[in-house]
Amino acid sequence: MKEDSLSPAGWIAAAALSAWACHLAVRFTTPIDSALPFVAVLVTLLAWVADPALMLATPLLIAAELALPDEGVRLLAVGAIVAVAFACAVVRSPLRADVLAVIALLLLRWIPRPAQIGRELALLVLALVIVYVLGRTPFAMAVGVAAAFFTPAFPLRTLALPLAVLVVAMAARVFGMPELRLTIPSFAAVAFALTFFAWSGLVARALPYFLRPPSREPVRFIVNRALAANQALQLAVPDGARALVLSGANVPHFRRGAVVGHIDPGHLTVRIGDVADWGYLRRETYYASHNPLPRDAAGKLRGYGYDAWLDGAGRVALPRGAPVVTVTADASLPAGASLQVEGFELAPR
Amino acid sequence: MSFFVVAAALLVLPLVALRGRTLVRCYVAIGGLWLFAALLHLRIPDFDPYLGNVSVAVLTFAVFALFLARGEHVRWSANRAAAIAAIVYACTIPAMLRTPIDGDEPFYLLVTESLAHDGDLDLANQYRTLATSQTGRRDLAPQPGDPRGPHGEQYSRQEPFLSLLLLPGYALAGLYGALATIALFGVLLVRSTIRWMEDEGVPDDAARAVFPLFAFAPPVLFYATRIWPEVPAAFFFVEAMRGVRNQRLKRWLPSLFGLVMLKLRFVLVAIGVVATTLRRTRARLLALGIVVIPLVVMWLISGRATNVHAWSEILPTTPMKYVVGLAGLLADGMSGIAFQAPFYLFGLFALTRWRHTPRGFRLGILASLLYILYLLPRPEWFGGWAPPLRYVVFVMPVLALGIASQWERLSRGALAVVALWTVALAIHGLAYPWRLFHIANGENALGEWLSSLARADVSRMFPSFIRMNHAAWLGAGAVVLLAFALRRTRNDLAVPLFALALAAGFAYAQQPGPRVEFEDIHVEHHGGTLYPELYAVMRVTYRGGWTLNAGDSLTFLARGGPSTLHYITGPGATIELAGRAYHLPPAPAYTTARVVIPRAGRVTLRCLDGAVNLDRMDHDDDRR
Repeated sequence: MKEDSLSPAGWIAAAALSAWACHLAVRFTTPIDSALPFVAVLVTLLAWVADPALMLATPLLIAAELALPDEGVRLLAVGAIVAVAFACAVVRSPLRADVLAVIALLLLRWIPRPAQIGRELALLVLALVIVYVLGRTPFAMAVGVAAAFFTPAFPLRTLALPLAVLVVAMAARVFGMPELRLTIPSFAAVAFALTFFAWSGLVARALPYFLRPPSREPVRFIVNRALAANQALQLAVPDGARALVLSGANVPHFRRGAVVGHIDPGHLTVRIGDVADWGYLRRETYYASHNPLPRDAAGKLRGYGYDAWLDGAGRVALPRGAPVVTVTADASLPAGASLQVEGFELAPR
Repeated sequence: MSFFVVAAALLVLPLVALRGRTLVRCYVAIGGLWLFAALLHLRIPDFDPYLGNVSVAVLTFAVFALFLARGEHVRWSANRAAAIAAIVYACTIPAMLRTPIDGDEPFYLLVTESLAHDGDLDLANQYRTLATSQTGRRDLAPQPGDPRGPHGEQYSRQEPFLSLLLLPGYALAGLYGALATIALFGVLLVRSTIRWMEDEGVPDDAARAVFPLFAFAPPVLFYATRIWPEVPAAFFFVEAMRGVRNQRLKRWLPSLFGLVMLKLRFVLVAIGVVATTLRRTRARLLALGIVVIPLVVMWLISGRATNVHAWSEILPTTPMKYVVGLAGLLADGMSGIAFQAPFYLFGLFALTRWRHTPRGFRLGILASLLYILYLLPRPEWFGGWAPPLRYVVFVMPVLALGIASQWERLSRGALAVVALWTVALAIHGLAYPWRLFHIANGENALGEWLSSLARADVSRMFPSFIRMNHAAWLGAGAVVLLAFALRRTRNDLAVPLFALALAAGFAYAQQPGPRVEFEDIHVEHHGGTLYPELYAVMRVTYRGGWTLNAGDSLTFLARGGPSTLHYITGPGATIELAGRAYHLPPAPAYTTARVVIPRAGRVTLRCLDGAVNLDRMDHDDDRR
């Protein structure tokens, strides 16, 4: 439908109308809902560079806002709409990779509005340079977006990642690497991230989380105790309890498999991998952390957009039939570190 | 039907019409869609799986339809269109049977069962042995006014020809066979309509684009998979029109016969065909002879040539009724084409380009005019207890022809919006087939859903000509404007304007409205009963309301200031509204009382004593 494209003034009017419509539609208070007008402008920009039919994403965004009161479902629907529009744009207009990369990064990193605008602008520029160096193909767009997306930009030296990618890309081009298109894998990768752009920070820092079914809002028997090295805590197991929810404190530098505690009876060993440092996925601490995402993550999703993170709690199965359990923090825990017993998770009634 | 079978059928569809790179790209797109759906399912495991599966199936078909319309390597013919229709309708029938058949459907099937088992039309024994009926309905009873024979025979008011047509299918496979027979007529309708487009010189790419929006969208989709005479009638009508256009007596004569035998009301269409298309005296006499046959048949069955109708029904009535009926067919939220089959808005656009449309379209419209003229003033112009647009399904192929002929001139933005809305209607109708039926209370399924979500009267934003509301004439005016505005332009802002209308409408709807209809979904009912009861015959002729007894209450959003309460009460009642008490004296007819709401917001109306049937409350700013 490119032959039906609007004039520049028409596109500006379309963007303004779309933003106004989304502004009127906002019913909820999350930063993603509040940013709907911004999203509508970006979607209109997608339509401008690719296909006017993509403007349909705006009424769909409004429909999702109006009709889906459940926050998780609504934000996922918004992401899905944006992702599909983006994928269609890549297919319809694969050579506008520069604009597409900027739009993707604005969606992934600029909601909520970043505190360090200068760093974000630098990242955008770096991503654009990568896209141009690799030939403005869908593959170039995916590489540029990935290099900028996965960089926490905190501390500043993490900007080395996109710079390194840029150097490698330039070297590859100098040594004769052809302009790869790889349209389908490229748009699939970026569309995946965009699907969850409401929690893009978590996509960047704990991607496997989104490939697992979400845990339903659990019923918890709260304990909230922190155990220093060698400290033990005896707990009566409540009726219907199926797992213990544990996390670490001040252990982000521990690597996978490091022992953090034990559960008796059965002398079950609790390791990094079963649990993680409570705040290791926060943007400010992630760079220094070596923790992996817990195998059975029980953390709560916090924040939105690139500020989203998940606390490092993990579920550890209880010894079968035990009426009482004893949780002991491992003797090797350094000073200041602790094993946190958050509570029991009860089976849904 | 297992979703695996549906998935397999959906994968076969591209093979019917697509080739080469177009076929490969279509499969890649479908694969991507399914993977994406699987990812969403993983993340939202609590989402209604049936709705999810139906949505994916409809979207998969939409992807295929896009490639069919815009692909480079497409094999296209009327037969291929028919094959696609056969596959889709076969998949749709089980979806329609999530709940027992409804409306007139069980009565048609009951007549078929009587013909199959007893060889007669007397349903008395069928009503006695409903447990053995394939209708799945134990609650059937003769409808008021159904003809009775001299020896206690109980006949149906429905003409028996459709039941006769269903007989072979029913004999082979019971209810499924009957439905398959209707679907077969749907397939024939699709084939005939595409052939008609070819006859009238419509380009292939336009026909390919129009085809899915005609065949697999409301109302044709739902009437092709349920037991109503509308789709067979549409097929006979198209064949009759093709016959007279090609001057083929052997085509139009039996088609006209089939049409008038299906329903007496189609005699008006037949008269239209005769008047507008047949020029030779012999042909006209033959056609008029055919028109008489159903009258004779009905006289033989019921003792009255007009069955349950009266000759007085063809006398003209007040002009306003015609206007309301026409505006309702165009813009009503529950039954108008703007909301229930928006694709046919482009048919209105084709009407505005009358001289540039094919002759077949013009003749089809002219032939339907007499029928539509008699439909408009009827109290049940919207179709009664049936899926939307029942009475005008047979005109849809004509409108589709007009749309196809103007395809290149249609607004692309509006087409995109309409396609989106149509996909949503198809998903909704297939996932919740019982919601295709809606009581005539002035609301519609979407308005009710949004009202319950927002706890506000969103329904009032949808025009209603069944229970006239403020949006009615605005909506009708907008549709008339749209008929002229749907043309393709350089700066097409249809999509953002639609988005703005959607958001602004919802934002406005969250404010208290000038009128509160107490039976509406946005009113929270704590006790009391709906009036008249849900399935009252000719419900539309009543003033709907909510009956309260002592202790019952209602909560709703209301504007501040003086209002007028419309009610009727036999014993009298004392109510409390927004903290003030009012005594409502006994009134044998509807009357009014002045009430005052201290400030705008959510208020409670409580019945303290007696009983009252509350019709509505009008804010004084709104008094006319």
